This record gives sequence, C-alpha cells and structure tokens, in this order.
Amino acid sequence: MKNNIEQKRPPGVCIPWEEKLKELPEMPGDAELAKNIWQDIDALGYTYIWHCLLSF
Amino acid sequence: MRNEKPDRIPTRPFVAEFTAKYAGFTCQEVTHDYEKAFSSVRKCAADFDWDAVVGNMVYVWTGLTQAIGLKYYGIPGIDISKDTGFQYREPSEENAFMKPDEYDRLIEDPTGFLFNIWLPRVSDDVVPIGQEATFRNNLSFLKGGMAMMNYFDAFGKQNELLRKGSGTVSAISGILKAPLDIIADKLRGYIGLCSDLINQPKKVLAACEALMPHLLHIALSGADPDKNVPITIWMHRGCVPFISPEQFTNIYWATLKPIIEEIWKRGHQVLFYAEGNWDAHLSSFAELPDASIVYHVDKGNIFKVHEAIGHKFCLSGGIDNLLLSYGTADEVRDCCKKVIDGVAKDGGYVLDAGAIIQNDAKVENIRAMTDYVREYGVY
Repeated sequence: MKNNIEQKRPPGVCIPWEEKLKELPEMPGDAELAKNIWQDIDALGYTYIWHCLLSF
Repeated sequence: MRNEKPDRIPTRPFVAEFTAKYAGFTCQEVTHDYEKAFSSVRKCAADFDWDAVVGNMVYVWTGLTQAIGLKYYGIPGIDISKDTGFQYREPSEENAFMKPDEYDRLIEDPTGFLFNIWLPRVSDDVVPIGQEATFRNNLSFLKGGMAMMNYFDAFGKQNELLRKGSGTVSAISGILKAPLDIIADKLRGYIGLCSDLINQPKKVLAACEALMPHLLHIALSGADPDKNVPITIWMHRGCVPFISPEQFTNIYWATLKPIIEEIWKRGHQVLFYAEGNWDAHLSSFAELPDASIVYHVDKGNIFKVHEAIGHKFCLSGGIDNLLLSYGTADEVRDCCKKVIDGVAKDGGYVLDAGAIIQNDAKVENIRAMTDYVREYGVY
C-alpha cells in the first residue's frame, strides 16, 4: 500500500523514540534495549486511543 | 471460507443480546459485566453446537466505556431499559466531535488529533489540552487503559474455553473500518460528512488517506497469527444511497481497497460484514483477489450476490432477522432451504443471519435454523 503522507506520528507510535532520546543523557548501557522497551510500551498508548475510536 | 466445499455447511451465527435471553440474563448484565456475556456465549455455543462464534458479540463492554467517560453510548440499565441493547448516540451536526474546519489537523497528525482534540470531546472526564488537569481526567486514562487490557486479555481465555468446552472456534480476529465510515461514525457524524463531501471533498479524501495506514496497522495488530480466522470490517454507511456512486468509487473504495489488498498480501482474509444493502457495489468488490474476502449478506439479495461474486468469494448470512424474530420455525426452515439451494450447492457458504442476532430473536427459530442446516447442509 502506497503511503504518500508524511505524518508526525507513524502507525504504532505516540512519542517517537527519536523525540524521547533527546531528553535522555548519554546512555552507558544498552541503547537498543532502551529503545525497544520504549517503543513496545509506547505502542500500548497507540492501541488505546485507536481502539477507543474503532472498537468502543 | 476459502470458497471450497466442506463436509457440511458451517454454522457461525453472530449472536449478540440473544445469548442473554437464552442464558437468562438482562441486556444490562451482558453489556456491563463481560463475564456474564462470555458465559452466555459459551452456553449457547455448547447447547446449539455451533462451529464458530464471536467470543462476545455484545462487544462494547460498557464498564470500560464508563471508565473512560465516553458519552456516546446509551448503557442498558443506566441510560435506557435494562432489556434493551446498548445504543450509539450520534451527536447533532453542531455538536459533532470534529468540526468542519479541522480536517488539516486530523490529516497532519491523526493520533495526536485523537488524543488532544477528539478524546476530550467524547469523554466526560478528559479535559482539553491547556486546561488544568483534574483527578477524573487522570483516572480516566488509568482506569480506561487497565480496563481495556483486562478485557482484551479475557478474550484469549474465552476463546480457549470455547474450544475446550464445545469445540467452537473464534469466528473473527482483528477489527477494520473503512476510512470514510470512521469519519462518519465517530468524527463528523453522517450529516456533517455529507456536507463535507459536497463542500470540501478533497479534504475528506485527504483525511481518508491519512487514516489508511493507521487502520491497516490496527487491523493487522489484532489479526490471527495462524492466518485462519478473518479480520472483520464492519461496513456502515459507505454505500449507495448513503453516498453517491461517485463518492463510493473515488473516496470510499479508493481508500479501502488498498487496505484489503495489503492485508491479503500478508496472508489474512477479511470478512466483509456488509450491514444493510451493498448490492450496488458488487462489481467493485469483484476487483479483489479470489478468496481474499468472505462476503456477508445482510439486506442484500444473496442470490444476486452469489451470481455476481460467488465464484470468487465464500458468502455468509442471508437469513432474514425479521423472520428469526417474528416468523415461525417452518418459515425459517424454508428460508434456509432457499438460501442453501440457491448459493451453497458447491460449498462456499457459511450459515448466519443477515445481521447480528439480538434479544428479539425467538429461541425456537434459532434452533430451527441451526438444526435444519445441520441436516440439510451436509454435502
């Protein structure tokens, strides 16, 4: 499916990791782990609002 | 569902408040207490020996909607009679949840629009951005989020109990709505959308295009990982005469078809739950790849549908709900025979009523429909 529209928040995302990353200090640990967990939990917020719209 | 010939015509009734009537509950009980709804479905599935059902077709759990403060539902036993199914209350045109000059904001950032503008308008508790936060605002997100997770998790257990208890499988997995339908249903309202289709059709089209990737994402996120069970699209007011043939072609179908094709590319079928009469659009649906959808017939003419697209897609439904409510068991059996003879000789048909079965259906008629197909529907 073509997607010609550039959106601030792509599907599955409320607060993009790139935006959150700017708020964080330089990470001494596993940055990939931090990113993955952020995105997984952030996606729950996305699920919440879109299911409010579609399912309820 | 792949338009093949099974041993017998499968039974897959979309039973909603009928389950409450059969199990001895009120509409309030099954709408507000989902465990009662789940147990009613299990009782019906076991007693009628259905092949597939929806784990809870009284899908809107009003405990959850009340926790969020959603104002658009009439809740049985609270806002309306305890014996009436829940109602969706569309606001008047002037009170629409999205204003006619807000398309650009929706298009630019759909998710942000929903959180920041739409949710404060549809909830009694959520306050708009910029206003002081309140206890009830904060609680709305906490209770709403936890209730939603609780409810979705419970479906997994429900589906397992159905399988183990009566060998009944879940009929659907995942939800889809057409972009144009969701604008009418929850954003602009049907009247507002109709005005926009005349006054600013390009904005409507752009909004539908902006919604497409999100609706695809949500549909796939709830899809059956084994790819056996279809995602369901609930089709509302996107057909003639609610909109014109041109609006259907240029907006409704132009922004829905690519979603269906993408879902099929990823191996999932879509169940077109075509509420009302969509017979004017069968040639458009025929553009889709063979077996990519199951087409459900409500008020359409199932024989005409079979002629037009039965060679490509499995059909379901077509048993008149009015007959199930007000007819006799013999009339129901006659109707089933006509449908089976007309569309199911070579397979490719799943038994169901035209629309969701509510508490006006007679138990003896549901029994007649089920038993008749079990005998007459054997290949």
